[in-house]
Amino acid sequence: MRLITHNMLACNIKGVKSGFPLKIEAESVEVKEADFNPEFLKRMIPKLEWKAFIDAAVGLNVSGLPAEVTPEIMEDEEFLKKFHHALLELHVEEGALICPETGRRFPVSKGIPNMLLNEDEC
Amino acid sequence: MASAMSAMTAECFSQSLAQKTSLVSSQFRSTHGSRIAFKQSRKSCNGPRGRAVLFQNLRRQVTSCDIVQSKDPSLVDRVLKIFSTPADSLNAGIATFYDESSTLWEDMWGEHMHHGYYEVGAPIKEHRAAQVDMVDNALKWAGVESAENVLDVGCGIGGSSRHMARKFGCAATGITLSPVQAARANEITAEAGLPNVSYQVADALNQPFADNSFDFVWSMESGEHMPDKKKFISELERVCKPGGRILVVTWCHRVLEAGEKALRPDEQTLLDNICDAYYLPAWCSVADYAAIADGLALKNIKTGDWTAEVQPFWGAVIQTALTPQGFMGLLKSGAGTIRGALVMPLMKAGLQKGTIKFNMITMIKPLK
Repeated sequence: MRLITHNMLACNIKGVKSGFPLKIEAESVEVKEADFNPEFLKRMIPKLEWKAFIDAAVGLNVSGLPAEVTPEIMEDEEFLKKFHHALLELHVEEGALICPETGRRFPVSKGIPNMLLNEDEC
Repeated sequence: MASAMSAMTAECFSQSLAQKTSLVSSQFRSTHGSRIAFKQSRKSCNGPRGRAVLFQNLRRQVTSCDIVQSKDPSLVDRVLKIFSTPADSLNAGIATFYDESSTLWEDMWGEHMHHGYYEVGAPIKEHRAAQVDMVDNALKWAGVESAENVLDVGCGIGGSSRHMARKFGCAATGITLSPVQAARANEITAEAGLPNVSYQVADALNQPFADNSFDFVWSMESGEHMPDKKKFISELERVCKPGGRILVVTWCHRVLEAGEKALRPDEQTLLDNICDAYYLPAWCSVADYAAIADGLALKNIKTGDWTAEVQPFWGAVIQTALTPQGFMGLLKSGAGTIRGALVMPLMKAGLQKGTIKFNMITMIKPLK
């Protein structure tokens, strides 16, 4: 699971009001190279929940991403490379996503998050 | 009867794959190296008797073929008599069915796990092209010319969503109950270099997304699996952006006539047999879907019927199942896949006699 995916997942257990963002508990993370596409990255910035993204990146030991992306920062190659790496190249292979409100763990196995709810959670 | 069958099933599957493969392939080897061609059964298959008739027809077809020098006729019987025991729950059954069947389907039919679209009156298109046509024609029918963030509900191995990502340059997310499908979908997508397309295991009836997330919500031939149609449509509505569009393409039963309270008994039995094999809950009609959508205040509701346009599909799938490659693939895939394959003539019969319809419904989520 990459952080681009993590950024859209939420806990939908019945009654939960703030199931986003999910905390990441990473047991194993793999780095898989991806094509660097600055135009794509710039288009992604406004579409992401930015705070959730940099918090998740910090959790995966990527520091130095800005709290806010200004037009100048957006053109900075260093920033784009770091952003690219955190967004697309880090794969949480094994671990869990944890609901911030209930603590419920959604397992991540072989890179796939399992977001199925139990019967009593629907 | 049930215990004898499960004993046979257990025995058949306890043999090693190598033993089974060599035994069956020695019996199926063609002296001419040509594909097995089968005539399709013309008999309609209704009810428990119908299931026995279906089995007899298939058995006759397999053993009457001149390239089957059957040294062990009971092997054919054992293979064709496989019925798996019901899954603990519908979702587990669906997941297992697709976990088991997905690789074989991909090998034989490619990345699109849905009907082909065949223009009525035109020469029959090559089937994989027809499956791509289905996606394009469905989008055209629904008036979708662009999208930014698509959700594919019941995404299979991602055929539709990747096609849309390429066509529209959009982001796409897919959900499936099958971990095998999700993994394969991500694998193919990574190879295809589509960075903003991803897949996860999730339930269409309880989706792991915030409200108002996607401007286009797509469900291609997955609605049949949803046990609660109202919950299904309301989840699609919830995750759809205001002003966004929903499109559901799904198998339904025919719309009931005025005064009819239910399908005829023979029709119901046909559907029951199909339901068992494909892990489908009760069927509804496209009119039922429209009523649900209306009840959820969705707007611009449009329904359609492409039963005629998908007519060539099941015959084609049955033929591929009966090729050596298809048959061997079925043996390797497992009891659930085999059972699904055995029921394909019922789908064909249901479409032909008007009980089963291939429907579409599209609607818009109103702006607040």
